[in-house]
Amino acid sequence: MPDNFQRVSPLADIAIQGRFGADHGAPGVTLSVRHPVLIATVIARKGKAKALADALKSWRGATVQWAGAEQYFLLDKPFDEVRKKLEGLASCSDQSHGRVIIRIEGPKVRQVLCKGTPVDLHESGFEIGKSALTQMAHVGVHLTRVGRDAFELSVFRGFSESFWEWLTEKAEEFGYQVI
Amino acid sequence: MLIKCPHCGTRPVEEFTFNGDASIQRPTSNDPATMDQWFDYVYLRDNPKGRFDEYAHHSSGCRAWLVVTRDTQTHEIFNVVTARDYAKKRVAS
Repeated sequence: MPDNFQRVSPLADIAIQGRFGADHGAPGVTLSVRHPVLIATVIARKGKAKALADALKSWRGATVQWAGAEQYFLLDKPFDEVRKKLEGLASCSDQSHGRVIIRIEGPKVRQVLCKGTPVDLHESGFEIGKSALTQMAHVGVHLTRVGRDAFELSVFRGFSESFWEWLTEKAEEFGYQVI
Repeated sequence: MLIKCPHCGTRPVEEFTFNGDASIQRPTSNDPATMDQWFDYVYLRDNPKGRFDEYAHHSSGCRAWLVVTRDTQTHEIFNVVTARDYAKKRVAS
């Protein structure tokens, strides 16, 4: 695979910067697309779940997100490095091209997200760093809390456009800013 | 109906795909004399009233196969375990 080809975000022409929806006061949420971003799925080999969890825990600079039983999304590390490091522990697959991560933050973030998911996002049970797999508008979403009022929503690339439409529609009543 | 997934916590039934009776066991023999067992395994299902072990795939969540034990009459849910644990327990007993 050539190293120098350029990835184009499927939302490049969709996520247009600006202020939309309700236009009074500060925007309820701010949306942005994380691009480009390195994403790998990592699934523990038989009997290696504990060893994998330990290896991931001590890996500096890697962002590890729970993505199902004995499965993780590993962000911010080049795929060759991931494969080398986790050799024998996990099956890895490069998903940098396959998923889109939308960041949503702001005082109304929970009100927007709760229109789509049954997951209880109150911080008493859903702390920073915690992930959940759920569905919003019939699209499978991997959701991670990255801050008190900030979440990352990871969806399959092919669904990202319709998901973006749905998400922005839900955010309209609070006013939203795209950066 | 709410189902407590061992990985994801309590989720609505819409997130799950059901795939029938979990208690039946695949015959191990390929001997033509065991065709009756195979016929039962492939085609015949009980339709119990009451407690029932059922495969459930958490298709909109963690994508794990689970076994949900519920009451077919009242939809009360007694227990949810991963299909892996269910199979292990069956082998052990």
